[in-house]
Amino acid sequence: MTSSINSEGKTLSLTVAKLNAPLTQAFDGRLSSESATTITPTPTYNTQAQRLADFETLTAALEYAASGTAGYNFYDARGNLRSVLSYQALRQNACISAQRLAGLGLVRGDRVAIIADTTPEFVELFFACRYAGLIPYAMPVPVNLGSHAVYVQQLRGMLEAGQASAAVANLDYVGFLREAAEGSRKLRWVGTPEQLGDRSLADVALPSNHPDEIAYLQFTSGSTRTPRGVIITERALMSNLQGIVRHGLEINPSDRCASWLPFYHDMGLVGMVMAPMVAQVSVDYLATRDFAIRPLQWLRLIARNRATVAFSQPFGLKLCTLRVRDSDLEDLDLSSWRAAGVGAEMIRPDTLRNFAEKFGPAGFNASAFLPCYGLAESTLAVTFSQVGQGFQSLRVDAGTLVDRKMAIRLQAEGRKYSEFVNCGRPLPGHTVKVVDDSGLELPDLRVGSVLVRGSSIMTGYFNNPEDTQKTLQPGNWLDTGDLGFVFEGNLYVSGRRTDVIIVNGRNIRAQDIEELAEQQPEVRTREVSAFGITDANDATTIVLVIECRLTSITDRQSLTSRLQRLVYMAFGVNCLVELVPPHTLPRTSSGKLSRFAARQGFMQRTNLTDPLSAESGDK
Amino acid sequence: MASDYNDILHALCMHLRKFCDPDVEITPQTDLINQLAIDSVKLLNLIMELEDEFDISVPLNALADVQTVHELANLIHQIKSPK
Repeated sequence: MTSSINSEGKTLSLTVAKLNAPLTQAFDGRLSSESATTITPTPTYNTQAQRLADFETLTAALEYAASGTAGYNFYDARGNLRSVLSYQALRQNACISAQRLAGLGLVRGDRVAIIADTTPEFVELFFACRYAGLIPYAMPVPVNLGSHAVYVQQLRGMLEAGQASAAVANLDYVGFLREAAEGSRKLRWVGTPEQLGDRSLADVALPSNHPDEIAYLQFTSGSTRTPRGVIITERALMSNLQGIVRHGLEINPSDRCASWLPFYHDMGLVGMVMAPMVAQVSVDYLATRDFAIRPLQWLRLIARNRATVAFSQPFGLKLCTLRVRDSDLEDLDLSSWRAAGVGAEMIRPDTLRNFAEKFGPAGFNASAFLPCYGLAESTLAVTFSQVGQGFQSLRVDAGTLVDRKMAIRLQAEGRKYSEFVNCGRPLPGHTVKVVDDSGLELPDLRVGSVLVRGSSIMTGYFNNPEDTQKTLQPGNWLDTGDLGFVFEGNLYVSGRRTDVIIVNGRNIRAQDIEELAEQQPEVRTREVSAFGITDANDATTIVLVIECRLTSITDRQSLTSRLQRLVYMAFGVNCLVELVPPHTLPRTSSGKLSRFAARQGFMQRTNLTDPLSAESGDK
Repeated sequence: MASDYNDILHALCMHLRKFCDPDVEITPQTDLINQLAIDSVKLLNLIMELEDEFDISVPLNALADVQTVHELANLIHQIKSPK
């Protein structure tokens, strides 16, 4: 067991970045002077009758939740309860902030960008926007060493893409935000929640929202150049939330959630902020950064408060497996955890097995594993496996998978195989199909592009008809960009198409890496190709192949290390840079670079075998 | 104050030693990313150790302006100094 865990360690070599960790001092000015013992978390058992997301809008759901006793609880790095935000207090504070937002002179439907640290203030502002008829969107917090300039650029891109009229960040981040806002003609107000709190109340009537209104934008890429804001309506949101709490999780009155997921990721925001609220369930939060540094704190939170529902990306589970000491297991009781949701990136069966093996002695029950599949473009969730049944997987012949894009169940032992986790069936009101390159639907066990249609699908990317048209196909089929196959009604995801590289759950667009390289004076446009390679240990490395005319070793070294540094600062991941002679990169008949072929070429040059090349060609 | 900084710098270098190639010389000007190749998991571990040793909490927004050993030592020094 030790060796398998150690080998998994390599997969973690890029982790912090993806955790994009909020700050420890998730402060609450109102409580910071009091000792932690004076506050108690909101209870698990609510005083009101449970309603499972049968509301028209988010604010309607909050109005109901506010009449009960559940709410959000925020813990610090040492596991102390720092602040409590009951749904009742949330409603009250959000309504007051809404009046202050209304006083900023914004028009209904205007966007408000908020840097989303794991704090009560973020949640209050988010809901305040909805009460005021404004459209909030969450922006990430910075994490990488030396990332100041890149982070500001990223914020600027998001402010522009969302055409924000106001932007808010707490004291730790408002400096970055102000820099990003410089020169913006659209922004009317930038400040901290405290500064907003100093403003007078507008005292206007707050009309209720309509299901067809936009509820929020979800930015999907942490990229610097072209962030895209997914438009989610109230109707789509509630449809997805209903699917999650009723069908996916089968939420009941004894449930309680625990989460470290960032509020600016769809799984964190939709799955662990909104879904609990629309079911009047309490949540315990640990900041992402605190989880990353001490993953044990999350498990302790689950144990201490008898949480039943907690989600993670697979890499979060790996962090726990890798970094929690065996001696810590003794006083850990995870037996209450009935739904261990896993999603947001490809799930390797071994990740789950290692986790179950490590935490079995602490009462973790492997039947709690709940693999699911989804994406921000479909609000959050698309498929869920059967809750309480643990994970199932399928071993298929690796050769046939690569050569014929067919998943043939392994007949004999000893053959090389790939194993895929069953992500379950679509939520009610959703359909999944797998199509080939020409768009024709494929039968069971044939690998192709995964398309989704249904009531949670986005309206489009905000102010970006071009990308919207590429992603939303005729008949309102959403092209997920993922590859996979269907078997007996269940979805199995086998990889990403080559236009996106997933490193520890973070989607990095190959194009963004390439553009970063093309900004270097030594590099010409269209002479760069970026792709990911995944080794047998499931570690994904970004490879940047560049056609290079430099001859001096010093110059070449300088370019290589500069690129590695830039990629690290922009995306928080290490990359491998290969300089090749001009005309090495393969082009399609139309002269376009093919990342797929570039990747094949790289593998040949470096004598790598490809354990999982189910990835098909570029789009 | 200066000696505090020097103590911190010294302790920081001891921690960094564990994360990098023994042949690499560590000076205040050494670049954490380029020269020491501190990747994200090393960074997590490093921060955990530093937080435990100095009994501090390193805010990640501050790391955005840290590239060298000196800058990291200075950051710890600032966090430790009474405001």
